Amino acid sequence: MTVIVDRIRALPSWQVTLTGALFVLGFLIAAQLAAEGPRIRYTSQERTTLTETALGLQQQQDALAARILELRASIVELEGEEPGSEAQVRELNAALEQARIAGGLVQLSGPGIVFRLEDAEHPGADRDSLVTARDIRTLVDELWLAGAEAISINGERLTTGTAVLDIGNAILANSAYLAPPYEVNAIGPDDLYERLSSAAPFVEFVQNRIEPYALRLSFAELDSVTVPAYAGTIRSRYARPDPSASPLP
Amino acid sequence: MISRRRRWSITLVTAILGILVVAQLRSQAANPGLSNLTAQELTLVIANVSTRNESLRAEVAALERRVTSLTDAHDRGESALDELRSDLAALQAWAGLTPVVGPGVSIRVTGRISGDGVEDLLNELRNAGAEAIAVADVRVVPGTVVFGDPGGLSVENTSLTDGFEIRAIGSPQILTGTLTRAGGVIAQLAATYENTTITVTPLDTISIPATERSLVPGHGTPSL
Repeated sequence: MTVIVDRIRALPSWQVTLTGALFVLGFLIAAQLAAEGPRIRYTSQERTTLTETALGLQQQQDALAARILELRASIVELEGEEPGSEAQVRELNAALEQARIAGGLVQLSGPGIVFRLEDAEHPGADRDSLVTARDIRTLVDELWLAGAEAISINGERLTTGTAVLDIGNAILANSAYLAPPYEVNAIGPDDLYERLSSAAPFVEFVQNRIEPYALRLSFAELDSVTVPAYAGTIRSRYARPDPSASPLP
Repeated sequence: MISRRRRWSITLVTAILGILVVAQLRSQAANPGLSNLTAQELTLVIANVSTRNESLRAEVAALERRVTSLTDAHDRGESALDELRSDLAALQAWAGLTPVVGPGVSIRVTGRISGDGVEDLLNELRNAGAEAIAVADVRVVPGTVVFGDPGGLSVENTSLTDGFEIRAIGSPQILTGTLTRAGGVIAQLAATYENTTITVTPLDTISIPATERSLVPGHGTPSL
């Protein structure tokens, strides 16, 4: 043993450095090849094109969502400068602001919890070891029942019209494509976690779904959680205000 | 002293190493989700994302028109109060703050079902484009959850009997088709709850009340 150590000591330092670097190099090449292995097997020209199309569409979506938020901000500003009768304008603007907040068109920050929900570390052939839309919906419903007042999934705000659906090993929320790990942000009362963890359906969810399939659920209680504004469409094609209801201000 | 040749070889190895490290990190950073999907699933993602982009584009166009008309009114020193009022009415109706009417479906649930089952039905209604939903006259807004075991369901402060109605405004054809298709949500629920029947009736006019829930945040602060 000492002989080997002595021989290593006798080596010039650059040789040791080079050996170390070559080791890392070998490791990286192996990692790169291993990562590409399955991809090469499934990759066809068609698939690459599809992935590129999906990526391009997602980039367009991000740009469109950003533009919507920008335009809404200008509208709020313009409405604030409305030259009509002052009291009336103030009242209308206050009502508009309230409606925007109620609908989730405004970002909220406040005390809450951030959950992270991930597939099992070594998912088997069994799809049960992957997080499904149903799992996310259960977590979200339990959070609402525990008193959460605003929730987002991977930055996608939950509104009155949000459906959460499975798509492959990922989900769609507000028709946006969201891939695991899922981060569920919820704003609520200080005892939100106590209320959640003492609710029987949540305990059952952890016992019957998370634990047996080794899904990874972690959380952090924070003083300030941010739930972004909904950046989608609010046009109604079929529903219209009920004319027999009481008039607006 | 390291010879010139050795120095070059070290430089070369470290340079290759650097490139490989960056390549490895970049390949891992690029969309972890999409690379796992099959071609069929990718097609589905593309269809969904393009539909959403179209509606976002329509929203952008409508908002741009609003900005222009508000700016014009502003420049002419005219009041845009009427536009503000119609904006407010549309927003309040969408958010669930005011009652709404429109075509849609009435869904009659008879027999025992769990809260999760009803939530699956509501999720499918939203997926099919329902614009407003009520369960036993309780408007469904963010935070409204139908919960409980079969036989003991509640929504907000209302307990549901073993026969109740869900109403939804939207395209009657699309809503009916999505719910009742083979292998759809009703078929799945019927398999789980054998003694429960769920019937869907398309209607020309449906009224849905306003929510009684307060949607004013009590803990979060809005960033206006």
